[in-house]
This record gives sequence, C-alpha cells and structure tokens, in this order.
Amino acid sequence: MKQKTIFSLTLISALFGFMIVLQIKTMHQPEVKETRDVWKLRENYLAAREMEANLLAEIRKANETIARYEQERLHSKEQAFIETLNELKQEAGLTELTGPGLAITLEPLPQEMYPGVDNPYLSATILRKMVNELNMYGAQAISIAGKRVVQSTVIREIQGATRIDGFPLRNYPVEIKVLAATLQDAEKIYNSLQISSLRDDFFVDRINMKIGEPEVEVTIPPYDGTIKIDVMESSDEGASE
Amino acid sequence: MWLPILGLIIGMAIGLLADIHIPAEYSNYLSLAVLAALDSLVGGIRAYLQNIYDETVFVSGFFFNILLAIGLAFIGVYIGVDLYLAAVFAFGFRLFQNMAIIRRILIAKWSFRKKNKNS
Repeated sequence: MKQKTIFSLTLISALFGFMIVLQIKTMHQPEVKETRDVWKLRENYLAAREMEANLLAEIRKANETIARYEQERLHSKEQAFIETLNELKQEAGLTELTGPGLAITLEPLPQEMYPGVDNPYLSATILRKMVNELNMYGAQAISIAGKRVVQSTVIREIQGATRIDGFPLRNYPVEIKVLAATLQDAEKIYNSLQISSLRDDFFVDRINMKIGEPEVEVTIPPYDGTIKIDVMESSDEGASE
Repeated sequence: MWLPILGLIIGMAIGLLADIHIPAEYSNYLSLAVLAALDSLVGGIRAYLQNIYDETVFVSGFFFNILLAIGLAFIGVYIGVDLYLAAVFAFGFRLFQNMAIIRRILIAKWSFRKKNKNS
C-alpha cells in the first residue's frame, strides 16, 4: 500500500472512531434512577422545608435591615441639609432645569427692509425690559444665548456690545429660553408676549423677535459663574431663627 | 495495515477523553453519519481487495456520503417525510453487499493459499 493511502485511511478511521464514540456517548447518557423509599423522601422533603424556612427568615431579616437603614437615612440631619442645599441651589439657578416652556429667537431683519443701514443693535435696555416682562408673566427660569439669568445677572452695554454677565451678544440669532411651571403657564407667557410691545421695541433696532410655540420640554443650563455674596448680609429675622 | 486500526483506536480515545456531548435532538444525524462512514470504509476495503482502490474516490466518497445522508435527513424533517430511511436502506444494503464481497475474496485467498501449501 502506498504511504499516502495508509495515511488517509488512518485519518478516516480515526474520524470514524471518534464519531462512533460520540454517538455511543450520546445514546448512553446515564439515567439517574430513583432509589429512595417513602421515608427517605419524607426526610428529604422535611429537610428542604426547614431550609426554606431558614432562607425566608434570613430574607426577612435582611429586609428589616434595609428598611431600618432607609429610615435612618431619611430622617438624618445630613439628609435634611442636603435637601435644603439642593433646594437653595435650584433657587439660585445653579442646577439645570427641564420642563415646559418656549423659545424666543432674536435675529436681524432682512437687509432689504432697511437698505443702507448697517448692523442691528441689540439694546440692553430692551433686553432688560424683556427679562422683567417674562418674570412678570410667570417665567420660572430664563436663559439668554445659553447664559442663565439669575438674581445677580447684569445686562448692560460695555464698549459697544451688549453683554450678559460679561458675555457679549454678538452672534445672531440670539436664543432666549423661558421655562414655565406648566404647559398652560407656557401658553400664557406665549399669549402675553404676542400682545406685548417688545416686538415693536426690537423692530425699531432692526431686530426681528420670533416667539416660538410652547414646548413640552425646554432645558435651561445652570449658571456657570460664581455668585458673589460679599455684600450680602443675613437679615435679623434669619439670625434669630 | 496496522496503522488504520491504530487510527481507529486513537480516534476512539480522543472521543472518550474529550468532553463533547451532542444534544439528543442531533443524535439522529450523527447515527446516520456513522452509518455512512462505515459504508465508505467497508467499500474502501472491498475496493482495495479488488485492486480498484482509488484514493480520491474513497476520501471524497467518505465525506460526500456523510453530508448527503445528513442533508437528506435534514430535508426529510422539514418536509415531513422520513427521508433518512432512504439513506439507512441504501447504506445498509450496500454494507451487506460489500461485506459479502469481502468475505468471498478472503475465502478465495485463503483456499488458494491452502491449495498452494498442500501441493
């Protein structure tokens, strides 16, 4: 016989042997026979029952511990402080807020309406007026061009550019986001803006004010500067408490 | 001639030592493959004894028969006809035929040798 023939024959016999053993193994999977009698079964059953009871007791204990910890956490002074801190942060405008609201866009009027007149002028006075009006209409939070308007926010003109907290508003369109408590409130703000004189005020300065429809979700970014409280003093009322 | 038997033993040893289990639903296919392989092996031995052994035919027949048998069984399962019976019948029939031919050849050789010794 040629060497190659023997080699292939060997290989194929090996494959055949492998397959046969695999088949035999598959066909003869050992069966586990039930050899326990009734008393033995009963004993096993009782043992399992006891284990179940133990496990249940352990689970109950663990649940009690969890509940206790939860209780302690809720009533701890630390938790109260954290909650107050969060509330104050939210009030001061240091947190991101999401809720119903609307967006106002300020953009330059098309050139053809005022041929020969140069850039539009965004007046700090009108912007301040708008913020005041929005607050009057019930806005919860306002951001102008991504800058959160907080209690200490300054809108004024410095070196020819209107700035909000030092950030110049040079790029149009300027987007103003307004957050309202509910969707109804957002609609109220929308309606109030429609009849307000703000649009005319902006128009004089060649700026078109577009009032967006109330939206279900508007996100207002947090205030990114530091709030200076050097000149703040605690009131007597607060001190006596 | 001893090497193929050694190969068979090695293959069995690998099968026993390797912890491979075929799921029970595939054991039908495996049994058919084993049958096809056995048929090819016996056919190869017969061809060798008749001096018409061809390496390519043998090796290709081995794998092709296995694949065909498994394919038939697979299709049979899907069209609801027990097609694997066709493979079982064909292989079984040929197995017996080949065995008979091998037996005759071996007996003829044996009696020829006996006659030579006596004379």
